[in-house]
Amino acid sequence: MVIDMHVHPVLFGPICTDSKRLEFRKQAFGLYKSSPIPMEQVIAVMDHAGVDKAVILAEDYSAVMGEPAVSNEEIRLIMDTVPERFIGFASVDPRNDNAVSELERAFRTLNLCGLKLNLSHLQMSPDDKRLEPLFKLCEKENKPVMFHSGFSWEPDSPSKYGRPILYEDIAVQYPTLHFCLAHLGWPWVDELSMLLLKYPNVYTDTATVFMDSPKNYYEQIFMKNMAPGWLQNNLMDKVMYGSNLPRFRQVRTKDGLMKLGLRQDVLEKLLGGNAKVFLGMEVRDYAY
Amino acid sequence: MLIKSYTQEIASRQEFEMIKITDKVREAVADSGIKNGVVFVISMHTTTAIMINENLPCVEKDIEMTLERLIPTDYPYVHTHMLPSYGTCSGNAPGHLKSMLCGNHCVLPVTDGKMAGGKAQDIYFVEFDGLKIRKYTIQIMGE
Repeated sequence: MVIDMHVHPVLFGPICTDSKRLEFRKQAFGLYKSSPIPMEQVIAVMDHAGVDKAVILAEDYSAVMGEPAVSNEEIRLIMDTVPERFIGFASVDPRNDNAVSELERAFRTLNLCGLKLNLSHLQMSPDDKRLEPLFKLCEKENKPVMFHSGFSWEPDSPSKYGRPILYEDIAVQYPTLHFCLAHLGWPWVDELSMLLLKYPNVYTDTATVFMDSPKNYYEQIFMKNMAPGWLQNNLMDKVMYGSNLPRFRQVRTKDGLMKLGLRQDVLEKLLGGNAKVFLGMEVRDYAY
Repeated sequence: MLIKSYTQEIASRQEFEMIKITDKVREAVADSGIKNGVVFVISMHTTTAIMINENLPCVEKDIEMTLERLIPTDYPYVHTHMLPSYGTCSGNAPGHLKSMLCGNHCVLPVTDGKMAGGKAQDIYFVEFDGLKIRKYTIQIMGE
């Protein structure tokens, strides 16, 4: 099974019926010239890329923006259109007083499967005390967290809050909390690799083609920035396929990974096996 | 002189796809009421083409393979970077280049209220950068 761990459903048809809301969301994400995509097209694109399931991410900066960019209800709405193809992650703004109760509602009532936080967009350090109750709830409910990590394209989003090393304390303080430092933490790939190597609860995804073609970019990251053996022999259980749709195409990013010449067992983990473990769909029966 | 325009939407289902639109153009010509003149079919995009060719799978496959040979998918193109105004990555240089080679429109005569193409001629909307929702315009000019 191929799972795309990183999809922003900002332009998915069912949540784009209100033109004001659509414009607000496009501004928030910096997707200025892009247009809504009907659901049939979304599914056709996934089928064409050979993606079985996609993790769709909510985004909430409502303490400043007044409303979530993609709300938890909108994630649920998209999931309900084709339930077998989507896994929904909630988002809450930690600056709101009701952040914890809203996250509880997203998990228990809307049945969302994890929490998405972009601390760059929130301009919040990972050790901010307002995050602690959210981490505790996720740990208690056994829900993973997806952090934006590394460089951010979004407006008003300083990349310093996405620096991987800043998340080490979370890995230590919440050892049963699974979290993903997305986008390979680029440009801090070495820092990220250290965290992946050391902490069993830290993962990453490949939603990171910021320059060049996916094929060349992944070759640079996985075969040059990292030595070829790092991914295949050391980090093979920790890296998950993510496209970053709509910023990058699923078919191209997946193709770029497949052309790395990885061992088949590593490729299978990368494209879906590791995501299954991260999402709690499967338990590993071994530990190194 | 009369001018009538019709805009059509089309959803491509492949990265490369030749979609026959001859009947849509014929319908537009008949609907326009224009008896003698010309019909233009114009794509609204930069990674598609409007093409006239013969409706044979072997010809379509040769067109696809020739374009791929001339403009391969994998090549160190310059147009492979983030486009901040879109918020997305470009990476579709082959589509732009194939579009450049094939052109964005075709023209056929309108005679006695009908599109007057040759028997082997069909009109295609050609997708080089699917899967996408696309638009093209049929514009008829005449009397």
